[in-house]
Amino acid sequence: MQDLVLLIVSAALVNNVILARFLGLCSFMGVTTKVDTAVGMGMACTFVITVSSMADWGVEVYLLSPFGLGYLRTVTFILVIAAAVQFTEMVIRKVSPALFQTLGIYLPLITTNCAVLGVALLLVEGKMNFIQSTVFAFASSLGYSLVMVIFAGLRERTALAAVPRLFAGPPIGFITASLLALAFMGFSGMSTN
Amino acid sequence: MALPLDHAPDSTATGPAVAEGNARVVALDGATAWLEPEPHSSCGGCVSAAMCGTKSGNAKRMAFKRFPLTGHPGLQVGDRVVVGMAQQSLLRASAVAYGLPMATMLAAMVVTDKITHADGPTILAALGGLAGGFLLARPLAGYLSRRGELTPHFLRRAYGPGQDEECHSK
Repeated sequence: MQDLVLLIVSAALVNNVILARFLGLCSFMGVTTKVDTAVGMGMACTFVITVSSMADWGVEVYLLSPFGLGYLRTVTFILVIAAAVQFTEMVIRKVSPALFQTLGIYLPLITTNCAVLGVALLLVEGKMNFIQSTVFAFASSLGYSLVMVIFAGLRERTALAAVPRLFAGPPIGFITASLLALAFMGFSGMSTN
Repeated sequence: MALPLDHAPDSTATGPAVAEGNARVVALDGATAWLEPEPHSSCGGCVSAAMCGTKSGNAKRMAFKRFPLTGHPGLQVGDRVVVGMAQQSLLRASAVAYGLPMATMLAAMVVTDKITHADGPTILAALGGLAGGFLLARPLAGYLSRRGELTPHFLRRAYGPGQDEECHSK
C-alpha cells in the first residue's frame, strides 16, 4: 500500500503533468476561467485519462509487446484513447440521455490531447503492472485537475484585480502559471519515482 | 473598476454562478425549438486550434446531443443562442457521470488487488466496478433530471460568427 501512496504523491505533485512535464498546456490555459468549470473538466479528464490508460496498458502488454509491434505504439494508443472516449460517451448516453446532453453542451470530453497520450506513454516507460499503471494514471490526472482548479481560482482573482494593461489577459496568466510551477518545485525530493 | 487582489469578492457571494454554452437552433416543432450545441474544443481553442483538430465531434455525433428548448417563440432555424445552467448543477452532473464510476472502479480494483495480488482478477474487478458505478449513476441522473438540474435554460441570443465560421466570409 505504501508504494501506491508514494506513486500517487510522485505522479500528482512531484512530477505533475502540467507543471513538471508540461503536458496539457492548451486546456490549462483554455478552460481555467472558472473554478466550477475547471472542477468539472478535471473530473472528465481524470476519467478519460484513467480509463484510456487502462486500455492502453492492456494493448501494450497483451498485443504490442508480445508481437514486437512497439513501433505502432503511438498510433495505436491514439486509436485506443479515441475509442475509449467514444465508448464512454455511448455508455453515458445509455445511462442518462439528459446527462449526456448536458455534458455535451458544457463539458465535451477531451479526446486525444498530449496529456492523455503522454500519461499512456509514461506507463509503458515505467514498466508497471496493472494496478500500478491505473493508480499512476489516476494520480497524474488528479494532479492535472488539482493544478487546473488552483489556476482557475487564481485567474478568477486576477480577473478582478488591478492588473496593468500591458500584463492583462494571457501575460498575467503565464506569470501566474510560472509562480505556480515554482511553488510545485517545493515538492521535488519528496519522492524519487 | 478593478479591485486589488485582497478586496476581490468571492465569486459565490454575488449569486449562483452560471455555466454558459452556445447552441444553434436546428429545427422548430411548434413552441419547441431543437438546439444543437456548437462544436467547440475542450481544450479551450488556443491559437494552434486550427491545426490540432481537437474539436468535439462530427455532425452525426452532434446530432445525438440535440436538446429541446420550450417557450421561446421568437427563435428561427439558424439562430444562435446562449444557454446556461447553474455551475453547481454542472458539478453534480459531472460527479455523477465521471466521479462515481471512477470511485467504484478504483475501490473495487484496490480491494481485489489486496486480496489476489494478480492482474487478471484486478482487471475484472476494475471493469465490474466501472459497470457498477454506471448502474448507480442511472438513478442519480434520473433524480437530477427530475429536479430540472440537467435542463439548459435560455439566457440570451448569441451574435457574431459561430465557432466554425469566419468573421469575414467570402
